[in-house]
Amino acid sequence: MKVVIAEDSVILRDGLAQLLIDRGHEVTASVGDAESLGVAVEELSPDVAIVDVRMPPSFTDEGLVAAVHLRRRHPDVGVMVFSQWIETRYAAELLSGSASGVGYLLKDRVADVAEFVEALTRVASGGTALDPEVVAQWVGSSARRAILNTLTTREKEVLDLMAQGLTNAALAAALHVSERAIEKHVGNIFGKLGLPPSDINHRRVMAVLHYLGRPSSSTSP
Amino acid sequence: MAFIERTGYTEDKVWNAILRAPFEARTWREGCYLMVSSMVGFLGAMYLLLGFVTGLSLVVVLVGIPLLALVIVGGRSWGALYRALSESMLRSPVPPPPQFRAGGMFGVVRSGLSDRAGWRALIFLAIESVLSWVSALVILTFVAFPAFLVVSPVVWLVVAPINYDSDGVAHQSVMQIGSVYFDTLPQMSALAVVGIVGLFFAPWPVRALASVERFLIGALLGATEDDARVEHLESSRAAFVDDSAATLRRVERDLHDGAQARLVTMAMALGRAEEKIARGEDASELVAAAHGTAKEALADLREVVRGIHPPALDVGIEAALQTLCSRSTVPVELSVLLPYRPGQSIETIAYFTVAELLTNVAKHASASSIWVDVHADGTTMVITVRDNGIGGAKIGGGTGLTGLLARAGSVDGTLRVDSPLGGPTLVTVQLPMTSEGSRL
Repeated sequence: MKVVIAEDSVILRDGLAQLLIDRGHEVTASVGDAESLGVAVEELSPDVAIVDVRMPPSFTDEGLVAAVHLRRRHPDVGVMVFSQWIETRYAAELLSGSASGVGYLLKDRVADVAEFVEALTRVASGGTALDPEVVAQWVGSSARRAILNTLTTREKEVLDLMAQGLTNAALAAALHVSERAIEKHVGNIFGKLGLPPSDINHRRVMAVLHYLGRPSSSTSP
Repeated sequence: MAFIERTGYTEDKVWNAILRAPFEARTWREGCYLMVSSMVGFLGAMYLLLGFVTGLSLVVVLVGIPLLALVIVGGRSWGALYRALSESMLRSPVPPPPQFRAGGMFGVVRSGLSDRAGWRALIFLAIESVLSWVSALVILTFVAFPAFLVVSPVVWLVVAPINYDSDGVAHQSVMQIGSVYFDTLPQMSALAVVGIVGLFFAPWPVRALASVERFLIGALLGATEDDARVEHLESSRAAFVDDSAATLRRVERDLHDGAQARLVTMAMALGRAEEKIARGEDASELVAAAHGTAKEALADLREVVRGIHPPALDVGIEAALQTLCSRSTVPVELSVLLPYRPGQSIETIAYFTVAELLTNVAKHASASSIWVDVHADGTTMVITVRDNGIGGAKIGGGTGLTGLLARAGSVDGTLRVDSPLGGPTLVTVQLPMTSEGSRL
């Protein structure tokens, strides 16, 4: 997997690069601002770009703006937005249109190296990786709480992880059950919510998020 | 001898003043003011009368109440007009009262009815409705009449009006007192002289009346002392809130870029170490790196904590300043002499003010020594920070001095910067020893 890292903190950037190289991935470029990120993606066409939200010159949301831009210009390049805090509005902007090849994670998640790399790989191959906090906030504020409350505890767990972008295999591993059991849960959930079943990971995420009322329809085309 | 000389001198001055007064611009400006205000005053009286008569007579049908509120708030416009006249003709600018503030539909009416500035303006209009007559009278008697006397010989010669007395005798005259007709050139000339002398007296009643007007406008149409104080407090509070917001933003930035980033790095290293150990590999290098990062994160956090509230400040301002000064890159000579401990918030403001000033010196002044002195002057705490650097520091020059000024202002303190180009720089900050018990 070819990775470009855009992160202005040198020690974090180097740590990330080392972590990925250790696991046999190729870090083709490490840059410190949004502009060089654009250039690097243009020239190196990586599989995925890791983008810090706050970067020079204004240290506000340069990274997010760059990420949205990248998604429009290079739909084939996965974008993993990486931040020390979570804004659901940012997530909505990132997801407007499609959930394909997009990720939004708290930097804390890098502590669980295996899960982080798994999420990055998923985004690189067109899947989705949403931070549990984003999903929790959207589930918590969903107008369809009544129907969501009819789900069993296990089904709720599955829904959460599904919305985060996990595949059935990853779901099975995370919940220590068989893939067949997961398929059954997913079928039940879709049945209860009245959603058409979908096997494609990012479509499934989108369906669930739309069901929750997010991302807001105004940002969808 | 000396006494007599002095009296002579004073008499000279009096004559000088009398002779010069009719030609001074001030006299003419104030005369103009009286003429204009006598007319405006008449209109103002009509406004007052019509407004109240209509408003009160309509109170029974309720429309009158908002109408009255409107009349009262409308008084502010009259106030503004008189303030403008006062500024341009009486050369006495008066600060306007605070803007009319009201919330909600009924709030508007209630605030209107109790609008102090509006009521004060109406009281002014009521007084003015009498004073405008006095003004008109003064102008007629002391200005217009003597002026007429001065020009009367010309009128007498050119127009040559003929009047007949009770006996049917024709007189060419423009003036008569009782049965005495002024109909000879010497008589007319005498009248003109009387007029000229009269005109020299005219400035004094004009000035006296103008002074009364000036006083009334200042007393009734301007901002009261309370208004001014509220305004000062509001602006210093706003500046202080901005300053606090900037401080919080800085703390957030420091945490985000420092400790938080290091903790993420540390977690990452430990995560990798855990995996390595699980695979039975040597992870000592990663653990050592994580250990190093943890220590750096602690140092970062300590700095941030010091930036929020230095623990030494709990011991006292002197201890805190000692620590602060010993950490300065430019050597500091510190002397603190306070009879008792100032209020907590004052200590905090004093500490951060000195901290910011020391940073400024280190950054901009190219100084080799700093002297910090803290002492009490009555109930005021006086802080001076002096350096031997290149000077040129200004409030508002992108330095933190504006923020410091706002911080001092928030407790009714002051900050003065004396920093000529070439140095040295002396910053004096005065803070009340206690901030408790606002004077409002």
